Amino acid sequence: MSLFQRAKKFDLGCFANIKTIRDHTKRKAFEAAEPERQALRYIIRNTTLPARTRAIAQLQLTQMHCYTRPTQIKNRCILGGKGKGILRDFKMSRYNFRLQALEGNLPGVKKASW
Amino acid sequence: MSVPRARMLELVKAQCQLFSTTFNPEGVRTGNKILRQRLKGPALAAYYPRKIITIRDFQKEFAPLDLMIDDEVEDDRLEHIAALKARGKGAPKKKNSAPDFKKK
Repeated sequence: MSLFQRAKKFDLGCFANIKTIRDHTKRKAFEAAEPERQALRYIIRNTTLPARTRAIAQLQLTQMHCYTRPTQIKNRCILGGKGKGILRDFKMSRYNFRLQALEGNLPGVKKASW
Repeated sequence: MSVPRARMLELVKAQCQLFSTTFNPEGVRTGNKILRQRLKGPALAAYYPRKIITIRDFQKEFAPLDLMIDDEVEDDRLEHIAALKARGKGAPKKKNSAPDFKKK
């Protein structure tokens, strides 16, 4: 069972399924743990510190919860929750992007024609 | 004409003092590049749009002014449940006591 509990109050304003909610939880967990992670990373990278201190820091970093790792975060579509084929600039999957663009909901996006 | 290394190091040291940079002639790895990195947590956590206001909040806000606001989704749900109940297909009533699992 995951150590991390989801937020008590549901705070997503976009399409939500368990995958987007989980990803959102991971993002918040990473945000909370980022200073600690960076401090540990600094100790590990600093070769002027004693080897024992650095080894302990390595252990501590690897033993942090997996939700606090930035590599766990995955960009997902805000309209359908899809995890693949996401356009980063629009936070949408390619098909939802196409639908929205053809409808004219995305300012500055125009179908190419020449 | 070559300049002695000690002299060059003095120059670099003075330069570092002047511009308040770290004097590290051997290039020892001190991990300072980690400290220089910006925190990216806030940007990552702001990826999904947050829920700002709900219809229920609106209703609460305007209740003192006697203004009614229809929550269409909620009305549809209640209507659907009423239709189910009329056909006798609704959810069963809650029992007053906890169900006894041992009985078989």
